Amino acid sequence: MHEPYLNTRVSAMAEHLVDPDEVMALCGLSLPELAQRFGLEGLLEESLDRRAKSRSVKQALINTLLDELRILIRPMEAAEAGLILAWGRKYALFNLKTLLRGKLYELNQAEIRANLFELPAHVRLPQQDLFQAEGVLELLRKLEQGPYSLIAKQGREVFEQKRDPFALEAAIDQRYYSEMARRLQQVHDSSQPELKQLLGAMLDRVALMWLLRFRFSYALSPSETFYQLVPSVRLLHRDRLLTLVNLDSLEEIIAALPEPLQSALAGSQSLIEVQQRLGGYVTQEARRLLARGQSGVARSLAYLILREHGVLMLFALVQGQLLGLPRELVEIAVEAQPPDCALPLPSAA
Amino acid sequence: MSVNKQQLLSAVQQQLLSLWALLRGFWTKLLAEAKPQLRAIAAKAEPQVQAIAAKVEPQIRAIAAKVEPQTRAITAKAGPALRQVGPLIGQLWRELRSPDSWREIRMRPLLMKHVRLLVITDDLPQASLTLAETESFHPDTRPPEEQLLSGIPGRDYREIYQQAHGRLEKIAKVVPVEAAADLDEVRVIEPDELRAINEQLTERWAEASRFEEGFRRIEEQDRFIREQQASLENFSNLEIDLGALRNKTRFLDFYVGVVPRENLSRLQGAVTLADHLLFTYLEREQSTHVVIVGPRGEQESQLASVLSSASFQPLPIPAGLEDASPEQKQDELNAKRQQLQAERKALSAEVDAWERMHREALRSAQQALQMAAPFVTLDPSIRSAGHLAVVCGWVPAREFSALEARLRASLSLPFELESRNPTPAERPLVPTVATHNRFLAPFSMLVKQYGIPQYGEVDPTPLFAVTFLLMFGSMFGDIGQGAVIAGVAWAFRAKLGRFYRFGIIAGLSSMFFGVLFGSIFGYEEILPALWKSPIHHPILMLQIALGYGVLFIAIACGLAIYNRIAVKDLAAAVFGHHGLVNLIFYLALVWGAVGIATNSSFGTAPLALVIVALMALAGYAWSHMKAPIGEKILVVFIETLETVIGYISNTLSFLRVAAFSLNHAALSLAVLTLAGMMGPAGHLITVILGNVFVLVLEGGIVMIQVMRLQYYEGFSRYFSGDGHEFSPLKLRRGPV
Repeated sequence: MHEPYLNTRVSAMAEHLVDPDEVMALCGLSLPELAQRFGLEGLLEESLDRRAKSRSVKQALINTLLDELRILIRPMEAAEAGLILAWGRKYALFNLKTLLRGKLYELNQAEIRANLFELPAHVRLPQQDLFQAEGVLELLRKLEQGPYSLIAKQGREVFEQKRDPFALEAAIDQRYYSEMARRLQQVHDSSQPELKQLLGAMLDRVALMWLLRFRFSYALSPSETFYQLVPSVRLLHRDRLLTLVNLDSLEEIIAALPEPLQSALAGSQSLIEVQQRLGGYVTQEARRLLARGQSGVARSLAYLILREHGVLMLFALVQGQLLGLPRELVEIAVEAQPPDCALPLPSAA
Repeated sequence: MSVNKQQLLSAVQQQLLSLWALLRGFWTKLLAEAKPQLRAIAAKAEPQVQAIAAKVEPQIRAIAAKVEPQTRAITAKAGPALRQVGPLIGQLWRELRSPDSWREIRMRPLLMKHVRLLVITDDLPQASLTLAETESFHPDTRPPEEQLLSGIPGRDYREIYQQAHGRLEKIAKVVPVEAAADLDEVRVIEPDELRAINEQLTERWAEASRFEEGFRRIEEQDRFIREQQASLENFSNLEIDLGALRNKTRFLDFYVGVVPRENLSRLQGAVTLADHLLFTYLEREQSTHVVIVGPRGEQESQLASVLSSASFQPLPIPAGLEDASPEQKQDELNAKRQQLQAERKALSAEVDAWERMHREALRSAQQALQMAAPFVTLDPSIRSAGHLAVVCGWVPAREFSALEARLRASLSLPFELESRNPTPAERPLVPTVATHNRFLAPFSMLVKQYGIPQYGEVDPTPLFAVTFLLMFGSMFGDIGQGAVIAGVAWAFRAKLGRFYRFGIIAGLSSMFFGVLFGSIFGYEEILPALWKSPIHHPILMLQIALGYGVLFIAIACGLAIYNRIAVKDLAAAVFGHHGLVNLIFYLALVWGAVGIATNSSFGTAPLALVIVALMALAGYAWSHMKAPIGEKILVVFIETLETVIGYISNTLSFLRVAAFSLNHAALSLAVLTLAGMMGPAGHLITVILGNVFVLVLEGGIVMIQVMRLQYYEGFSRYFSGDGHEFSPLKLRRGPV
């Protein structure tokens, strides 16, 4: 492992990150200004329609992120590189879900292709092979030979049992996060504590969001909800989740959360608000690690999380401009302003 | 100054000679000292060896009697094999005399033309097929310069082809789709026909996938019965009434079954939340057997959903455990497995019948797809505007007329075929045609490991072949060992493919030098040397190697100059690395060195040439460098020094050719000396093992050294290797 090299690399790359204080100013930039500032030539292509521009920008941003990921994993040892690569595979899973939806709803190939991302070789799915599959089960069976085997197997078993698209996608997401938690255990001891903090924050966020969504939006029972969750390696571990899923309102759940989650979410009225505050929880942890962390691997992942956050924010800005949305909405989307549309959630009696 | 150099040279020569004398002396002394000790050991060991021999003799005789029939059979087979040696030599001789063997030997690349074919869009499939049949058209995938040509015809055709091809591939995994040796008839596959084939293959795949599903179901049931068998063993040890678990009671809810291991932890938590308890009673490779117990009530439906998400498979609790022995139950399960086996057989027979019924249809679908493939392959190179379509590519100039004639004969609608020479800017895009000469082809493969010659560059294959054989033969000169290499290559010709000729030629080269050196399996007394034995003339061998190195480097520089002139880079040809000025410097340096060796003087003319050439190189480097003056001085000085040192060290690098020929002789001498200390059987075994050792170890090292000299001292000077290979559109034949 080349820790000093990796740390230097991450520090150099961190120069590209968007400063949180700068976000408000970015909301005021026009499309050409955004294109010039972030090198998004696709935005200035006159021949492209709005949808094509949006797609070209998203594709360029994802490519940048995954290229940086490839650079960062190069000096890492196999277990560490595997963990970071597993994180980056979410983009391949976006493509997998697109393919599955295409097969489920019998869309034509051109339509499916238009919604797929071109990904670099290290995370790419065998798309051409998958295209040839005649149905969801055949597609998942094909995917069982390769790095996505566990995800595909789990997805296939669930789909065979339930024939439910929602359950299939939930199983894919569940396996994705479980895989990261599993890979964390294989990482070298020196990097593990910091990675645990960062991945733990991410898993805390996912577990809490899913818990609230499954319990209150989809009205699943506690036992069904628990089965879909991925226990975190930090705060929301297995036993705590067992307690939380049995509670019947948002307030009760927030009150039962450990610190600092409880303080961070205190007074939240809606799922969107919870989601936004939890997003901050992960990015804060990533910023802290990037600034003061020792482990090159943990700092790399922190950088990638922040970079992804910046990329999504930039895409929201571009999308807002392309759709001609009012600035207030764009500011909410990039988390520069708190949301003002609360979703009703069950309250404690 | 010249006196000093003469003294220096004389001293170096003396040092080399004394070093050689020292090495020989050391070796002879070592052997002389070792001989009595080895003899003493042999004398001591003799009684024991004889005792062992007396003991093992009966066993050996028994084994010999047993293997005699096989030995006879082998001998009977070996006779005809040996009788093939004569025809083999005859065949090789005929191949060498055949004019075909001397065709395609060229160092200049085959001239290429850029062609632009303008056709009516309806004629595109036929045009693709014709281009594929000629096997002389390499598609150019660059976008067209004309803005109007923006359409991409054939997109639907490609989609349908890919679907059909994918389905046929999948069917071929269920039943073998017999590959046609050749196409019955080459014709255009129209879109409607392709669509019909695709529909037909869709139906066939739907049927084939049902078979696949059937096999999978049987496999799954078999696995499940195995799980039951494992479970039964456990049940039989439990001291509870399992009959009670079979039916749900009024108050209690029971589930007994198997769950994938990775789901167990989450299932346990979920079950607890539904007020149930989970017990694990058996852990298998990928699954866990569990019992879930809880109160009946509203939680039941929640639990059912969780169990389904967790891929829980309920295990039927065998009825009548209390009044039947576990063995009896196992027999029942075994019978079920046998039944599954019978089902598997029946399904296989059904698949065979299905395959027979559709064999012809699948075969013709496969042929149709092979004929449709060229249009699909060409698709990225085709652009259209209205009814006109354009396809561009590269064609060997000598094939152009034939291509045009074939298009005229096959296209029914008007077309236009234009050709032009590649422009200088296009040179990196022009594909290079590899040599098809049967003897050069294996050497071409070795050249390809370094890179493909760029169009315009010299193809180094013929030079590589000649120098390779010269170096390999001189470093590994032995009639017997060369014959073994050639014989092994011939014996394994089926496995080695066209590479076997490489082995035969290398073996022959080794044999040729063996005749010159008078060496056969290391023996230098059996045959008189036609020229000289290396080990007795080490200085001469070193001198020849140096001379060869100078010639090799000079030719390499010459080719580098030619390649740069060919691509119109005159500055690089004169001043670049290994350019004309470098060559002048090098030859002047060699001239001076020869002067020192012969007249004890470097000479004024070579000295002047060396100085002028170095100054020219330094001046060129200075004028082309943009850096602060200090850095410029440093870089130019180091680069000039590197030129001087580089050429000297590169030339000395060729001493290894002589060193290895000496090494080969010395190793053989060592083997024979050891063999000389043994009795007749030991002598034979030592000679055989020693030769095997020399062949494998030294043969490998010599091969590596020759390749190193070729790649580093040769190719790196004149061969960029960044071209790309001519890969024409072809009709794909053979299996799916």
